[in-house]
Amino acid sequence: MHGVVQAIILGVLIGGVYALMASGLTLVFGIMRVINVAQGALVILAAYLSYALFTHLHIDPFLSILIVTPAMFVLGVAVQLVFVRSLRGPDASELSLLVTWALALGIEGALSAVFKTTYRSTLPSYTYHSWNVFGYQVGVVRVLGFGASAFLLGVLSLLLTRTRFGRAVRATVQNPTAATLLGVDSNHVQTLSFGIGVSMAAAAGAVYGVIYPFNPGSHYDLISRLLSIVVLGGLGSIGGAVAAALTMGVVESVVAVEISPTWAAFSFFIVLIAFLLVRPQGIFGLRERTL
Amino acid sequence: MTRTPARRLAAALVTSVVVAAAVVASGSAAHARTSAGPIKIGISLSLSGDFSDSGKAAQRGYKLWRNVVNAHGGVLGRKVELIVKDDTSSPTQASTNYQNFITKDKVDLVFGPFSTLLSAPSAAVANRYGYAFIEPAGGGPAVFQEKLHNVFFTQPAPVLQSADVFVKYLLSLPKSQQPKTAAYPSLDDPFASPIADRVRTLLEKAGVKTVYKTVYPSETTDMTPIMQKIASKHPDAVIGGTQSNDAFAQVKAMIQLKFSPKFVFLTNGPNDPAEFPSKVGANNVNGIFSTGDWFPQERSPGNAAFVKAYIKAYGGTVDTIDPTAAEAYAVGQVVQDVAKKIHSIDNKTIIATLHAGSWPTVEGVLHWNSIGEPQGSDLLVEWVNGKLNPVFPKAVALATPITPKPGWGG
Repeated sequence: MHGVVQAIILGVLIGGVYALMASGLTLVFGIMRVINVAQGALVILAAYLSYALFTHLHIDPFLSILIVTPAMFVLGVAVQLVFVRSLRGPDASELSLLVTWALALGIEGALSAVFKTTYRSTLPSYTYHSWNVFGYQVGVVRVLGFGASAFLLGVLSLLLTRTRFGRAVRATVQNPTAATLLGVDSNHVQTLSFGIGVSMAAAAGAVYGVIYPFNPGSHYDLISRLLSIVVLGGLGSIGGAVAAALTMGVVESVVAVEISPTWAAFSFFIVLIAFLLVRPQGIFGLRERTL
Repeated sequence: MTRTPARRLAAALVTSVVVAAAVVASGSAAHARTSAGPIKIGISLSLSGDFSDSGKAAQRGYKLWRNVVNAHGGVLGRKVELIVKDDTSSPTQASTNYQNFITKDKVDLVFGPFSTLLSAPSAAVANRYGYAFIEPAGGGPAVFQEKLHNVFFTQPAPVLQSADVFVKYLLSLPKSQQPKTAAYPSLDDPFASPIADRVRTLLEKAGVKTVYKTVYPSETTDMTPIMQKIASKHPDAVIGGTQSNDAFAQVKAMIQLKFSPKFVFLTNGPNDPAEFPSKVGANNVNGIFSTGDWFPQERSPGNAAFVKAYIKAYGGTVDTIDPTAAEAYAVGQVVQDVAKKIHSIDNKTIIATLHAGSWPTVEGVLHWNSIGEPQGSDLLVEWVNGKLNPVFPKAVALATPITPKPGWGG
């Protein structure tokens, strides 16, 4: 029992970080029906930026979130303006897959050229510290990572529920045509939301680099997980993404401990398929409405 | 004029004598030409693709040997010329390269490429043409299961047996200090889990109880759940079949879980003197065991000179020399010695002679069985006082092993 509880704790802590990455992905999908398959590569890019800031300027990786996030927000806005906005017409969603995939490969190539393909880890002095909470060992970096993710998800939630911009975003998610008719500048909302989606990847990337070793190719594994989380949560639903990410973290961790690490990653997909058979729209997803 | 049978016979005889003389003359001319020219050696290397880091390390070792040997007058008075072709880390391209070296370039000798995946098919090509296949890095079962007589692996032991030395060390300890229980977390990789499996079989025979074993897939980056399970079983020894990142992650997880077993042995990862401390923290390395086929400070034949020449040629420190370079250099040493002994570079004689004797190299004194498996033992290395040192067998030890492992940070 002790083992299972410890595994659940680990799973929740990791799931929180995945929730942050997935929130950006699902937000962008909800607003513009763009599946940003570069989200994983953007996470890794941020991990490298944070790593470089730590290695060269000795900036703590958690503090570096304050630098990496705004920088990547600007990058996100630029990517939306240059690559994504120009995609129009009925094929826009499919084309956006290709464009963002190209972006992912471009980022991977650039990172390989600059940092080589060796695995890196951001290792601040407290990497190896852990707290003993009621007999359970809890790694300091994981708690900090979970805390930072929860905080940023809270900020995102406040932004969406308590601000004018947030109302415009939610209106666009629910019904883009009606939102435009009511005076929402959808171009503006789309650009800023894409920037926010990328900055969520950025913050999560800084945390990711402290917990896991990474190299430019790590984004393939990440994006497959993120897409599964978003699908399980319900496309476009941030609450769903959080619930799905925590489910993934816990299922993988418990299966790795109690059954076998070989089954850990696979077990999440079993949960995903089983759930989608019963509820195809995901945990919090809405049934597709026809206009 | 009609020809009589006798005349015809005489004409035929004269013709055949002339032709034969011409053939002999041209043959000896060709022979004289090659004897005066350089010894051509064909080597396929992974200069691009997945194995390019190691492929380039092997190339540094080969080139260094060529430079050193040429500076001393070459082999049998002939300069050595290396013909290196990139195989892009592809086994098919490697076999094609060897086929071309032998049939088109007509090289005198071939040296092996990097790693088992490429060595196995390449050795078969060399075997078909009767070439000796002395190879630095193909030590996996795939190479030896073909049972080729022309293969010679220039490391002290086949990969599968590389951790046997740790078992020998454990069993050399007084009974009270030996581990009673062990856990085996291993990477799903032909060069990781089979080594740990072998150690487990040997230790189980010696009475060490297995309390946990698992094989994890290569995409496992988080070892905390596995290590947590192991910690709950309280084993005396954690013996992991690892590569590099998973080894670092295992150690990191043990530290975070404050789980410090009496023995930690990982097949790969801790044996990288440059990387390991930076990945797990310099104060967490002490007492961790691994193995190696070569060590910069090793007192093996020609090693000090090799290390000196390497640093002079390529810069860096002793800790940054990739063992693959030493393995490649050893291939050259073997060829140099055997040529000197038989006064020839005839492949058939080389193969026969190499099977007979023992051969001094930077990798130690090597001798092989009939299918090219080296019959020696790898080095057991351990982090002692923040430095990686060979600690067993005693004859090659540079430090006294510490057991049990001090706690983390100690």
